[in-house]
Amino acid sequence: MVTRKDIQDALKAALPIMLGYIVIGTPCGVMENEIGIGPAFAFIISCTLYSGAGQFMMSPMVLAGTPLASIALSIGLVSSRQMLYAAAFSPFFTHVRKRLTVLFAATVTDESFGVNMDRFLAAEPWDERRATLVNLFSMLSWGTANAIGSALGAVIAFPTDILSFGMTSIFVCLLVGQLASAASGVVCAVALIAVGALKLAGLGGVAIFAGAVAGIIAGLIFEEVRGHAGS
Amino acid sequence: MPDPDLIALYLALLIPMLVWRVAPMLVLKGRKLPQRVEAALGLIPSAAFAALVANDVLQPAYWTASLLKGLAPIAAALIVVPIAKKSGSLVLSALVGVCAYAALSYCLSLAG
Repeated sequence: MVTRKDIQDALKAALPIMLGYIVIGTPCGVMENEIGIGPAFAFIISCTLYSGAGQFMMSPMVLAGTPLASIALSIGLVSSRQMLYAAAFSPFFTHVRKRLTVLFAATVTDESFGVNMDRFLAAEPWDERRATLVNLFSMLSWGTANAIGSALGAVIAFPTDILSFGMTSIFVCLLVGQLASAASGVVCAVALIAVGALKLAGLGGVAIFAGAVAGIIAGLIFEEVRGHAGS
Repeated sequence: MPDPDLIALYLALLIPMLVWRVAPMLVLKGRKLPQRVEAALGLIPSAAFAALVANDVLQPAYWTASLLKGLAPIAAALIVVPIAKKSGSLVLSALVGVCAYAALSYCLSLAG
């Protein structure tokens, strides 16, 4: 049963994401309008597909006449990092009902992963109800912003690259909170370098997923070597 | 009613997205995992946040335009670090980041 306290806690946690999504979701809706997606469909897409990167990629690819299979493959690759998020959350959902687990998992994004994981790892208790509410509040703000953007059309010009730096800054804040051990330092350094190298090599579509995996492998090797050195 | 091609595209994107998001959680949830796998899961947050930051601040297209344009998002991110470390506030970090990046971009536009 969701309590008023759950809703308050979740709203407080989701607020930075919701504000960011309003700012970034509106120009995304404007772009969707350019390929014939109206406000209602923009809202449905945003609440089900619910992928900022995917939705931003979709419109220019459609306008460029890219075949459907290529669009699906490109966006599918970019979204592959979702597997890591789902895997990372799995220990916290051991005793949670399947239906709620599916609802939570289907509504995770980069930002809600960050905020919820930060709270699951913190000393204060955080649970599946509040985590799912964070996802749903964020999703509704993303959907609403996309619908508004689609309704507005190209009436307003947005400096999207500058406004979207708000989300980058949120990731920086979450990253800073993770740098508590030598192992996490190694993980971060290797992930940063790997993403940079992959993007330079023109493999930007898989950079986040492959960079994160490289960081995890480096962290495991580091812990293994340190364990041997300690024993 | 949306164009049938758009509906086909939407479905072609939605199905793999749901598989990425839901399948690993249903497969792993409630299982006793080997120690190595549990250690790997514990490293995912650090790796994911670092990869997300790197993906946003390292923009090869900016570097080819100009060295300073390529450095601007990195510099703005570095400005956010002490604020994030001291306050731990996502909202304040986002505000500082946007203002810093906007100011740097404006200075670059004046210089360029």
